[in-house]
Amino acid sequence: MSSKTTVGLVFFPAFDWAISPDHPEREERLLYTRDQILEEGLFDLPEIEEYRPQIASLQDIERAHICVPSAQEVITESHLIAAGGTMTAGELVLSGKTKRAFALLRPPGHHAMRVVHGSRGFCTINIEAVLIEYLRKLHGGKFRCAIVDTDAHHADGTQDIYYNDPDILHISIHQDGRTLYPGTGAMDELGGPGAYGTLINLPLPPGSGDAELLYATEQLVLPLLQDFKPDLIINAAGQDNHFTDPLTNMNITAQGYARMTELLSPDVVVLEGGYSIEGALPYVNVGIILALAGLDYTGVIEPELPQKLIDNQGRLREEVVSNVGYLQEVWSRRKEKDLDLVFGDKEYVQRKRRIYYDTDNISEHQSEEIKRCPSCSGCRRVYSIAERHYGRLVKIGAVLIPWHACRNCRHEAEEAYQQLTTEEGLDHIYLHDPEGKQGDEG
Amino acid sequence: MSYLVGIDVGGTNTNAVLLKNDVVLATAKAATDHKHLHLGTMQAIASVLKFVPDSVDKPIELHLSTTLATNAVVEGKGAPTAAVIIPGPGLRWEELGLAFKLFPVKGYIDHRGREQAPLDHNQLEEVLAEIKQSGFEAVAVIGKFSPRNLQHELEVEELVTRKFPELLPVTLGHRLSGRLNFPRRITTAVLNASIAKIQAKFVSMVQEVKDRYNLGRIYLLKADGGGIDMKVSITRPIETILSGPAASLMATMALVEEIGDAVVLDIGGTTTEISLFYRGEPLTERDGAEIAGFATLVPALFSRSLGLGGDSAVNYDGHKVSIGPWREGPPVALGGPRVTPTDAVVALGAANIGDQERAIQALKEMGACYEIDPIIMAKKIVTAFSLKAAEAINEIYISLNSRPVYTVSQVMAGENLKPDRLIGMGGPAAYFIPKIAEQMGLPFTVLPYHEAANAIGAAASRPTVATTLRADTALGKLVVPELDYVANIPRPLLFNLEAARREAIAKTITYAEQMGTLFEPSEIEVTEEEVFNMVRGFHMVGKNYTLTTQVKPQVRRIKKHRDEMGEDSE
Ligand SMILES: [Zn+2]
Ligand SMILES: [Zn+2]
Repeated sequence: MSSKTTVGLVFFPAFDWAISPDHPEREERLLYTRDQILEEGLFDLPEIEEYRPQIASLQDIERAHICVPSAQEVITESHLIAAGGTMTAGELVLSGKTKRAFALLRPPGHHAMRVVHGSRGFCTINIEAVLIEYLRKLHGGKFRCAIVDTDAHHADGTQDIYYNDPDILHISIHQDGRTLYPGTGAMDELGGPGAYGTLINLPLPPGSGDAELLYATEQLVLPLLQDFKPDLIINAAGQDNHFTDPLTNMNITAQGYARMTELLSPDVVVLEGGYSIEGALPYVNVGIILALAGLDYTGVIEPELPQKLIDNQGRLREEVVSNVGYLQEVWSRRKEKDLDLVFGDKEYVQRKRRIYYDTDNISEHQSEEIKRCPSCSGCRRVYSIAERHYGRLVKIGAVLIPWHACRNCRHEAEEAYQQLTTEEGLDHIYLHDPEGKQGDEG
Repeated sequence: MSYLVGIDVGGTNTNAVLLKNDVVLATAKAATDHKHLHLGTMQAIASVLKFVPDSVDKPIELHLSTTLATNAVVEGKGAPTAAVIIPGPGLRWEELGLAFKLFPVKGYIDHRGREQAPLDHNQLEEVLAEIKQSGFEAVAVIGKFSPRNLQHELEVEELVTRKFPELLPVTLGHRLSGRLNFPRRITTAVLNASIAKIQAKFVSMVQEVKDRYNLGRIYLLKADGGGIDMKVSITRPIETILSGPAASLMATMALVEEIGDAVVLDIGGTTTEISLFYRGEPLTERDGAEIAGFATLVPALFSRSLGLGGDSAVNYDGHKVSIGPWREGPPVALGGPRVTPTDAVVALGAANIGDQERAIQALKEMGACYEIDPIIMAKKIVTAFSLKAAEAINEIYISLNSRPVYTVSQVMAGENLKPDRLIGMGGPAAYFIPKIAEQMGLPFTVLPYHEAANAIGAAASRPTVATTLRADTALGKLVVPELDYVANIPRPLLFNLEAARREAIAKTITYAEQMGTLFEPSEIEVTEEEVFNMVRGFHMVGKNYTLTTQVKPQVRRIKKHRDEMGEDSE
């Protein structure tokens, strides 16, 4: 391996896997990207080295998720490879083999939440979370990470997993949820009582382009990262914010994406969505790779780039400027915030949510109780009822112990789990304990 | 009865073998004359042709392996060549780091082969005028994605023909390879153009030899171990690079009974060349040959060079013996400055080379301050040599087994290339191969040194050709770049994988025919095949097919005249 290698590319297009033949998440999705990368000769460049993805184990998956009924039942092999390839990318960087790494693979994962009954938003397994939980386990929990999710859709899955986790800063920049699936990701979603302010959502108005993305990167993301000082920065690089994407209404270009990558200089980039498979992905991905490698990306121009976007360059939406200002303010004052005003003054915070799995047509009702603990981020109890379209109900109960749980919370969680074992009407019960054994099923 | 002559034009000698069917009838050698390569060739041919009975009136086929192209590239003797490139958007051509004179022209073909911007003919004409004026003697033309759409490259050729005929012939990138890799295609085309005249001159000289001895077809050995008709090689000389290593592997295939999954070590003075077989077939390079630091798209047999040979310099620091990667001179036993693995073998009495006393003395000095007996020292060196070779082999297999693959089924299956035997050749092989084999727990075969081995390899080769077919039913277009073939798909809905295979095989046959060899469809195989449904807006709009097709690689099995087959471990 050359000492000049700066980018490890874990490229896995899964040419034999699709959700269904005409689904956007199909065999063809990364074909033209592959062709563009090959024709540009990127694998021959001394700065770039290609790596084969490893296959994640079920244990790797269960570190990040509570799969119902089990990881084995909800995933396919493609998920193990996508998650494994993301782990490979992280390993490359942490081992120092490469300076940065790009998990350019599918299927994506950022809509997959902690509890997984099936696939939603084309995602089953949250590949970023699998990587992060793997690295945390490796470092005995002494590992802080930032995820910057630039997919056009709100990263509601990643947000859910790290909702109450103070060691993970999750920033999602997406098309305003009032105009796009999954609908969440408003600015007032700032995390749970144990991690308030470590979830940041910046919704962009439809039509936003490079100017808005780069402004947000420079004015919001970079200062937050500097402040948070993570051990690893992950960019969940969805490309459906491209001006040619069929599912969204954004105006990002390959140049804008590459510039954003250059500014952010993430350690690990993970492909998320992006369904303009001919007009966007070949160019955006080449732009990202070149930017990561420190090479000149200014020649990467889409054939369909409309004059309008070139003319509009630099014109910035006021709304974005004021939202960025608001979030800067939230961030800088997050530690002084009176959380009673946000979560009430009870010892346990209650949440009730309905989660829809569009891909698998499942309706989930989730109720949750988070302990507000002064010594740790607090243990949680979750009940989830999933209804599949043919009507069968699955009810589970789970207890979640956080990383660095205090003795009280650990004790309380273990008692709560004991109580679950005796509870009537639960199909499955789970104890999620990142520092100990996990995935016990009743 | 069929007679065939194999010739290897080597650095020092030109060797010839005469085959009668599969038996070596005669061998001969002559000194290689580097200024007039055909002279040694002629002399060697004359010596073996004496053994052909007068009753034979059928013209005799000649297979030639020559270092001509390799040397021209390695020594940079090619003609000054200008590369007209049509890079379009993407990685900037200035960033490619290619040491050629590149002349970019505007025009843009995208990944599906659609023209996104026409070729700028005014700019092209200016560029060609400049090239002509600057005194370039050869021109290569390479467009990004040209294998998907040949049009722009053909337009350049057309303009050169019309207005700058003195720049002809031009090398067009798409004709040399249908694989996607713009920088490698540039390199391949430029090198090809630069050595075309040297090749043409050589061919015309060999033509004289042919006429004089009334020879039949003449084939030149290629880097992939196949042959190319000599006349055709004038337009594709780059394919004949690295024919030396190919000849030696072809000889191995021709002479060894069961190759299986062998790893072949050719141990020389400075380096060991490592090649692999899988199910009896030699492994090929994934992208193409690399030569003198140039990455090309030339199909080539897989080979890795290890800085470990009989004359490698040996070091001992009291704990560890290190060998190579450099050579500082001949073995001490032959008056060299420094202990080499050969000295160790000589000291152990396993080879009779030079002065054994001197070898032992040198080993004694090496081990003196650590109080190590020279014979123990010699054994340490032999062990270190075997270990280093075994480790290198291991690493090659690990890296091959971790090569990226792009389907779920391939990842889940894993790769499981592993060697099942060791085949050795080269001077030091007889002693080291058994040790390396022991280290790796493998059976082994050592091929005895045979002066005419590479000539046998050349004689054993068969003509090969390969083509790439790209069919895009949504665009209704079918392209076979190597052949300049572009067609509309008349009824896209009826075009399927079967039709694509039929068409690809037919095109390979046509192409081989153009190159002077007739093949049956049964002799053609599809080596790579990709089919993708193309869905736009939830509707299937077509499929795209990419197929690589080639003449099935074959080797003439050869029985060596009166020689035994080599010594086997079992
Ligand atoms: Zn998305
Ligand atoms: Zn606690």
